[in-house]
Amino acid sequence: MLELPILSLVVFTPLLGVLALIATPGDNHRLIRWIALAAALISLGFSLLLAGYNPNGAEFQYTEDLPWITAFGMRYTVGVDGISMVLVVLTTLLSAVAIFYSWDPIKVRVKEYYAAMLLLMVGMLGVFVALDLFLFYVFWEISLIPMYLIIGIWGGPRRIYATVKFVIYTLVGSLLMLVAILAVAIAHAHGNPDVGFTFSYTALREFSATTGYTEGLQALAFVAFFLAFAIKVPMWPLHTWLPDAHVEAPTAGSIILAGVLLKLGGYGFLRYSMPLLPDATVSFAPIIIGLALVAILYGALVAMVQPDIKKLVAYSSVSHMGFVMLGAFVLNTQGLQGAIFQMVAHGVITGALFLLVGVIYERTHDREIAHMGGLNARVPAYAAIFGLFTFASIGLPGLAGFVGEFLVILGAFQYNGFVAAIAMLVVIASAVYMLWMFQRAFFHTPSDWMRRWWPKLTDMNRSEWIALAPLIVLVVVLGIYPALVLDPIAVPVERILESVDGAAGLTSLNLPWGP
Amino acid sequence: MLDDLFTIYPELFLATLVLVVITVDLWLSDRNRWLLTPLTVFGLVLTGAACVVVWGVNEVSWSGFYVVDDMSVFIKLVTVAIGILVALLAPSYLARRGLPLGEFNAILLFSLLGMFVLASSSDLITLFLGLELMAMPSYLLTGFHKSDRYSNEGGIKYFLLGSFASAILLFGIAWAYGLTGSTHLTDVAAALGGELQPGMLVAIGFLMVGATFKIAAVPFHYWTPDAYQGAPTPITGFLSVGPKLGAFALLIRLFVEALGPIRADWLLVFLVLAVLTMTGGNVVALAQMNVKRMLAYSSIAHTGYIMAGIAAFAATEDVAVQQQGIEAVLFYALAYSIMNLGAFAVVGVLQSDPRRYGGLRSFAGLAGRAPWLAAGMAVLLLSLTGIPPTVGFFAKLYVLLASVDAGLAWLAVVIVLNAALSAFYYLRVIVYMYMRDPEEQPAPIDSSGFAAAGLGICVVAVVGLGLFPGAVLDFIRASAASIF
Repeated sequence: MLELPILSLVVFTPLLGVLALIATPGDNHRLIRWIALAAALISLGFSLLLAGYNPNGAEFQYTEDLPWITAFGMRYTVGVDGISMVLVVLTTLLSAVAIFYSWDPIKVRVKEYYAAMLLLMVGMLGVFVALDLFLFYVFWEISLIPMYLIIGIWGGPRRIYATVKFVIYTLVGSLLMLVAILAVAIAHAHGNPDVGFTFSYTALREFSATTGYTEGLQALAFVAFFLAFAIKVPMWPLHTWLPDAHVEAPTAGSIILAGVLLKLGGYGFLRYSMPLLPDATVSFAPIIIGLALVAILYGALVAMVQPDIKKLVAYSSVSHMGFVMLGAFVLNTQGLQGAIFQMVAHGVITGALFLLVGVIYERTHDREIAHMGGLNARVPAYAAIFGLFTFASIGLPGLAGFVGEFLVILGAFQYNGFVAAIAMLVVIASAVYMLWMFQRAFFHTPSDWMRRWWPKLTDMNRSEWIALAPLIVLVVVLGIYPALVLDPIAVPVERILESVDGAAGLTSLNLPWGP
Repeated sequence: MLDDLFTIYPELFLATLVLVVITVDLWLSDRNRWLLTPLTVFGLVLTGAACVVVWGVNEVSWSGFYVVDDMSVFIKLVTVAIGILVALLAPSYLARRGLPLGEFNAILLFSLLGMFVLASSSDLITLFLGLELMAMPSYLLTGFHKSDRYSNEGGIKYFLLGSFASAILLFGIAWAYGLTGSTHLTDVAAALGGELQPGMLVAIGFLMVGATFKIAAVPFHYWTPDAYQGAPTPITGFLSVGPKLGAFALLIRLFVEALGPIRADWLLVFLVLAVLTMTGGNVVALAQMNVKRMLAYSSIAHTGYIMAGIAAFAATEDVAVQQQGIEAVLFYALAYSIMNLGAFAVVGVLQSDPRRYGGLRSFAGLAGRAPWLAAGMAVLLLSLTGIPPTVGFFAKLYVLLASVDAGLAWLAVVIVLNAALSAFYYLRVIVYMYMRDPEEQPAPIDSSGFAAAGLGICVVAVVGLGLFPGAVLDFIRASAASIF
C-alpha cells in the first residue's frame, strides 16, 4: 500500500496555498478567497484521513522522519498520538471555518490577510505534529507572526497596542523555553556522548524515563516551559494580553486565537512539561492548581462585569482554560482526559461564540450588551443558535461543554475535595454571567438602539449558517458521544501518567502544601 | 618564497582589483561609470574563488607573520560577500548625491584588503597593520559625503576616537611583547603558559580596551551612533558589519590564540562587557525614532551576542565546547553581516530624496506602496529579532547553545531577554510598514536594479540559511577547528 505522508500534507497544503496566493493578482478578491478556502479545505480533508488512527497503539502514528540540520541532530520528525490527532482536526476545522467566515468581513488587503491565515495554520498544525523539540520551537514561533499581523492590520481601534502586547508577552515566554529546550538537549547529549546532539522527542523522553534530568535542571526548565505555555494558555496572572487581543482582533482572528492558539499552551504542558520533567511536574503541581483555581474564579468574576460581549467571552476563556489546567495538573486519568476534552470543547464552543459575536458586530458595529435587548424578536434563528452555545459554554449536559468540566471536577475530587468544591461553585458563576448576558441581549423589549438598527438587523445569512453548521453538529455530537475524543486520547493519557507516577518530586523543593 | 605567494592569492587578487578599479575609473565617461559596479563585483567574485583555492591549506607563511588557516579563509569569504553586497547597494545612493563611484569602490576594496590581512595575522605586528589598513578607509568612507555636515562630524569623531583606540591597542601590544619576548601569537601563548604575570594584567587591560573599542562594545561605543548616522547609509551598512567582522577576527586572534591560556583571567571582564553591551544597545535602541540610528544601536546589541560566543570559549575546559563558542561567533558574524546590510540598504532605498533622514515615518504604509520591499524588510527585521525560520534565529540559537553548553545558562537567559526587548523596536518598524497609513508626501523609493539585486540576495540568504543552515555549518566547523 502506498504510504501517503499525511501529516506533511496536512501541514504544508496551506503553505502551498500561500505560494499560490503570492502568484495571484491582488485585486482578484474572489479568486484569492477561493484559493485560501480550497487550501484550508484540502488540509481539513487530509486531516480527516487521520481517522484511521489506531486508538490502542501506544506509539506515535503516521510518523515521518527526515534529517534536517545534521550537525546538531535536528530532524524533521512528525507524528501524532491521540491527543495531537484530535487537536489537528480541531485546528483544520476551525481554520476552515474562520477562513470561510472571513469571506465578507475582510475587504481590505485581502491577499495578505489570507496568506497570514494560511501561514498561521501551518504554524499551529506544525506545533501539534512536531516530534522534534527544535522543529516544535520553529513552528511555535511561526504561528506567532501571522497572528501579530492579523490583529495589527485588520483589528479594531487599539489594535497596535493589543498586538504588540500579545507578541512581547509570547516572545518572552517562548525565548526562555528555547533556552530550556537547549538545556534539556545538552543534558541528554552529555549523558549519551555516543549519540551526541538530538532534539528527538522520543529520545529525550526515553532519557527522562531512564536516567532522568537532574533536579536543578528540571526545576529551571520547568519554570521556563511553564512561562511559555502559561502565557499562551493564558494562566492568571499572565493573561492580561488576552482580553486586549480578543477585543481588537477581527472575528476570524478571535476564532483562531480562542479556538486553537490557547490550546498550544495546554498541549505544551501535556506533551513536553509532564513527560520530560516528571519530578518538577509533581512538585509544582500544587502551585499550578492554585493558579488554575484563581484563573477559574477570577475569569468568571471579571466576565460578570464586562459591558462588551466580546470581552465577556474572552474572560470566560480565561476561566475555562483554568479548568484545563486544573484537570491537567491533578494528574489522574479523569482530570487529564477532562482537560483534553475541555480543550476541544472550548475550541468549538468559544470559536462559535466569537463567530456569533462577529455576526452581530458586522451588522451594527457595536458589542455593548447594554445597547442590545430584545434581539430575539428580530433575529430568532440567531438567538436560538446563540442560546445553544451559551448553554454549551455553561456546561449543560448533552452538550460538549459538560463532559470536559464534569471529568475535570471528577478528577479534582480524587485530588482534593476542597479544590473540586471551588471549581464547582464557579460553574454556577459561569451560568450567572452567560445567562445574564443572554437575557440582557436577547430578551426584554427592544431598546432605542435596537430600533435604530432594526432595518439592518437581518437574521443569519446562508454563509454564516454554513460556517456555523459544523460547529453546531460537533457541539451536540461531542456532548452525546464524547467517546469520539475520549477513545483516542485514553492510551496517550495513560502514557503521560506512567511517566509522572514514578516521579518522587524534587527533594530539594519539598513544598509544604499538597493534597 | 613562491609557496608564500601562493597562500596570499586572494590578497593579490584584491590588491590588483583596487588598481584596476582606479585605472578604469580614469578612462570611463560619466555615462559608462556604472560599469564600475559589475567590474568590482566580478573582481570580488574572482577573489572569492581564489579564497576557495586556498581552503584547507592551513599553513603559516612569511616567516610566521601570516597564517592561512581555514578560519581566515572563512572570514575572507564573508568579507568578499560583504564587499559584493555593498558594491551593489551603494551606487544608486551615491549617484543621487553626486558622490564619486570610482573612489568609493577603491576605498571600499582597500578596507576589505585590511580585513583580509587582519584575518590572516599570526603576529601582533601584522595584526596592527591589518587593523589600520581596514580602519583608515572606513574613516574616509564615513566622511565621504563631504558637503554634508553630519557626515563630516561622524568621520571626524570616528577618526579621532578610532586612532585613539588604535594607540591604546598598540600600547597593549607593546606590553605583551615586552613580557613575552615575541610578537608571534603562538609564541605569546606559549610564553604565557597559563600563568598570569602581574604585568600581563596591564597588557590585557589595554588590549581589551582597544579591541572592544573596535567592536563598539559598551562602554566604548560612543562613537558608533554618530558615525553610523552621519555616514551615507549604504556605507553605514558596511561600517556596521565590515570593520566589526574585522575587529572580531582581531579579537579571536588576540584573545583566543594569544591570550587563550590565561582566559580565566579575562573571562569575567568579558562577561561583564558582553552583558553591558547587549543590554545597553537594546535599551537605547528602544528610544530611537530614527531607523538608521536605531539600527546603529541595535548593532551594538548584536555585538554583545557575538561576544557571548567568545565568553563561552573562555568559560570551559572542554575543547569541543570551546570550539563551539568560536563556531557561534563565526556563524553569528555571517548571519549578522547579511541581515544588517540588508536592513541598512532598505533605509538607503527610502532616502532616495537626500533630505530624508530615515525616520520611522518614512516607513509608514510601506506595505501598501511597495509590498515586496516591505516584505523583504519584514523578513530582515524578524531575522534581526531572531524569529525562525531565519538565519538570525539560528545564529542566536548557536550562541545560546554554546553558552548553555559552557555552563553559562544565565548568560543565555540574559540573551533571550534582550532578544525579547529588541523585538519591541524591530517590530515597531513592521507596525509602521504594515499597520499605519502613509505620510501625505511619502518618501520616494529608489528603484535601482543593482540595489534590488543586492537586497534580493540578502533576503533570500536570510531565509535560505535560516531553513538550511547545514549548508555552511561544515565550513564553520572546519574553520573554528583550524585554530585549535
